[in-house]
Amino acid sequence: MQKFTSMRGLASAGIFCFGFMLTACGGGGDSGGGATTDSTAPAPAPAPAPAPAPTAPAITRAEAYRFLNQATFGATLAEADKVIAQGYGPWIDAQLAVPASLELPLVTTAYAALASPSTMAGSVNADRVDAWFRNAIAGPDQLRQRVAFALSEIMVVSQTGALVNNVFSTADYYDMLARNAFGDFRTLIQDVTLHPAMGVYLSMLGNQKANATASIRPDENYARELMQLFTIGLVQLNADGSSKLDAGGQSLPTYDQAVVEGFARVYTGWRWACSTCTAFAQARQTLTPVNNQILPMQAFPDQHEGGTKQVLSYPGAALALIPAGQAPVKDLQDALDNVVGHPNVAPFISRSLIQRLVTSNPSPAYIGRISAKFENDGSGRRGNLGAVVRAILLDTEARTPIAAGTTGADTQGKMKEPLLRLTQFWREYGGKAASGRYVFANPSNTFGQGPLQSGSVFNFFSPTYAPAGEISTRGLSAPELQIATEYVNTLVTNYFYQQSFCRNQSPISGCATNTADTIVIDTSADITLAADPAALVKRIGERLLAGQVSPVLQAQAEAQVARVGAATTNQRVAEALYLVVSSPEFAYQR
Amino acid sequence: MDHNRRRFLRAATAGGLAYAFGRAPGSVMAQVASVNTLTDYKALVCLFLFGGNDSWNMVVPRSTAEYNVYKTSRQNLAVDQAALLPINPLTPGAAQYGFHPSMAELQGLFESNRCAVMPNIGPLIAPITKAQYQAGSVPLPPQLFSHNDQQDQWHSLKGRSLSKTGWAGRVADVLASQTAGQQLATNISLAGQTLFQAGSIAVPYTMGATGAQTFTGFGTTGINLARRNAFETLAMTDYSDVYERAFAATQQRAVRYADSVNTAIMSARPTLAPLFETASTNPSLASLSRQLLTVARMIDVRDRLTMTRQIFFISLGGFDTHDDQLDDQPNLYAGISKALKAFHDATVQMGISDRVVAFTQSDFGRTLTSNGDGSDHGWGGIQLAVGDAVKGREFYGSYPLLQIGGINDVSAGRMIPTTSSDQYAATLAKWFGVTDAQLSQVAPSIDNFATKDLGFLI
Repeated sequence: MQKFTSMRGLASAGIFCFGFMLTACGGGGDSGGGATTDSTAPAPAPAPAPAPAPTAPAITRAEAYRFLNQATFGATLAEADKVIAQGYGPWIDAQLAVPASLELPLVTTAYAALASPSTMAGSVNADRVDAWFRNAIAGPDQLRQRVAFALSEIMVVSQTGALVNNVFSTADYYDMLARNAFGDFRTLIQDVTLHPAMGVYLSMLGNQKANATASIRPDENYARELMQLFTIGLVQLNADGSSKLDAGGQSLPTYDQAVVEGFARVYTGWRWACSTCTAFAQARQTLTPVNNQILPMQAFPDQHEGGTKQVLSYPGAALALIPAGQAPVKDLQDALDNVVGHPNVAPFISRSLIQRLVTSNPSPAYIGRISAKFENDGSGRRGNLGAVVRAILLDTEARTPIAAGTTGADTQGKMKEPLLRLTQFWREYGGKAASGRYVFANPSNTFGQGPLQSGSVFNFFSPTYAPAGEISTRGLSAPELQIATEYVNTLVTNYFYQQSFCRNQSPISGCATNTADTIVIDTSADITLAADPAALVKRIGERLLAGQVSPVLQAQAEAQVARVGAATTNQRVAEALYLVVSSPEFAYQR
Repeated sequence: MDHNRRRFLRAATAGGLAYAFGRAPGSVMAQVASVNTLTDYKALVCLFLFGGNDSWNMVVPRSTAEYNVYKTSRQNLAVDQAALLPINPLTPGAAQYGFHPSMAELQGLFESNRCAVMPNIGPLIAPITKAQYQAGSVPLPPQLFSHNDQQDQWHSLKGRSLSKTGWAGRVADVLASQTAGQQLATNISLAGQTLFQAGSIAVPYTMGATGAQTFTGFGTTGINLARRNAFETLAMTDYSDVYERAFAATQQRAVRYADSVNTAIMSARPTLAPLFETASTNPSLASLSRQLLTVARMIDVRDRLTMTRQIFFISLGGFDTHDDQLDDQPNLYAGISKALKAFHDATVQMGISDRVVAFTQSDFGRTLTSNGDGSDHGWGGIQLAVGDAVKGREFYGSYPLLQIGGINDVSAGRMIPTTSSDQYAATLAKWFGVTDAQLSQVAPSIDNFATKDLGFLI
């Protein structure tokens, strides 16, 4: 977060201030309110102030695609029709009410079918990824799944490392994120903190109290990352996400080592839930599959630090020192209240979610509007994530494009995450296997990322990453470009080649035979247009880019199609599809 | 820079330069006009140990008084005294040291003058004592003990500035006009994009651990050539947003470098591969061996690619040993030791061992104290440099007193560095060809330190 400092804030303010002065949040095409509750929200969500929409103009397909690429795992013609018919607001409100599609049931079933469960638990990771793809491609709770995916890249746990044999934990962790995606932020943070997947990943599980003679002190891992990555970041922020500065122009740290050590002491004494255990040491092992792998960790007072604990000091903080002698659960409640109450949370989480969903370089005003929604959803509730997500998607900066040539036009939007290029392709082209499974255990090997497969708690890419060149020199960020390396881009391009030419209902000659587990797309509708290169490319462009195909892409794809004999219709389609789906245009999210 | 690039792209799209072979866009025209003025070859190989290497177990005091201090601090994380592999510096000090028992090869490289030890090094803005640290009287890099911030410090040496370039990127920037005839970027990563190699103008190239990835369906004739041409034309189009422009530039480099790199690698001598344990059951060793074999091959074909200066980035993860440290360290250290030895042997075989320096960096050292079975984020730590240009069998800097609450400890056994990452980088950069006057561009805080060259390179 160090890099999000005043220089960028000021530059961005200059860029955006005149574009959006008059439109507060809401804006562009929100045609209605409606209930935003869902089964897990602890209290009724607000009815957004029903803007008396004066004849909202009809949503175009291009606008619907932009919206759906922000709100789902990829825009499709069918879903765009729904958005056009319903309007953005009602579409969102309907989505907020859809319960979470889950991963754990599939994982549990797969585990039960293992020949030798005790030695093969890790193989079920593949089934967890299978479940993730099923939900991403066809889950009815698209918005919830997309937000869960965003949260999984902010509050990161990963199957790589200590969790490799705890697949129930990782699957349930993801399900927990999905359940909480539109819920209360304080609840989310507690569920994250006590989830055994996080406990294992950031070593709060098993964290013991100090023992000077053995040179042991509480583990600081979770204490540090909860603050740095999940809630407040490293430097004090204004509500618009810019850094607060001291008189010398330096940013102000949010905490120091004493606070890290204070929180580390809070997080002592927790281990796997164990109803028959009376002491920390007894709860060392996991029990049978599932059971305590998905139960919140349990506190064992015998290994909990008893003394006072320093926590965060900020205006309005209820306490700066947790009293000595409290029970572990009470300490935890106080500590999480303290960190979640910090004024950084609203801008930090707002910017994080905006970057995952809408744009790499939001204006301070945009962050400020979402922060305000985080602080108060309209009904006095703080931390209502459903309201925050709704505001992010309905904000004028998400909905109204900045015209070419206008300041800010060339920094709006973001790169799609590589995996989201794939899911959009599959969603529009019906990508699935005859077996019904998505046998693709390690997408990170090809796409540079996979669900809960980050190499570290810092996610696949940094929110401040800037490649050399104009993005760096202009003080901008492009997080997703960190994994769009020459190497990964080539792997992804080759994957799209195989998908376009071979893994479909009509492979060209020379392809390997598709099996029941091969994920194939259906290009039969496009094949009917193969005789007409211009019409064929236009149609593919409509399906993948809402028709916003540049003249050069149209021309290059058309010419390539025409180089193939008219009778070889499957290759004609493949050539066009490959060039469109591997193009920079398809990799960009407007 | 951007202006030039886009002008070039327009020209290229119009047809003229569509197959101008080569390097990052923007440098192509420079390449046409100039050649390398650095004619001798030099390569730096940065091995980044991700997660924060607990290096107090890598090079350990073995003389009894110092070992006992170590043992008292480390308790159940300590390595057995008798198991340490003894080393004997040319300039002996009062204390004696040994390598971790899994590092026999590095012990051998040290004893044969090919490995130098930098015993307490870390990000600093200026020299600092414990009293100054406690008084807050000397500026410090922000966010000590945080993984990504301290990785960024090692990568960038930016101190409290907002720089988005890395020190290797700036080395490439500084030497750009002298390396203009190279076919590839000076900076090549086998381990993803990092701040370390990001320049202002010098764009690094990222390849795979075993070579460049080639494109399926691209060929030199007929429909396969046409497909490649179409793809490349789309990659050379001037897009209207920053994201597509950067993405397209990457696509261009991917197409252009893939064939040249892999064709060149295939001509590397076949006798390199048997030196490396790429199929080891130790995943750390297998990973490093794959990467270092590829680096060796790239070095072997340097003339074919007209390379005179190269900085390779490779990495190994798994060093964030909050848990199970004593179980994990042997494999990690064996991987480093065996792979670096194999790599050094490869450079000897290629007759270029005095032109290649491999060196380590890591997020931070770790706490001397324990979490129970692991250690926490620290600050100073030990780094190693290997090669025949290294004045080996020496410690450069002083080994700290490994005492909780001692003179070097800020808290819980986090060692205050007595040598800065800037000094380390400046020493490497100077050997590589950066002039004294340019050193502060590479290492921005170097002028705060009396010793600008640690002296470990010839």
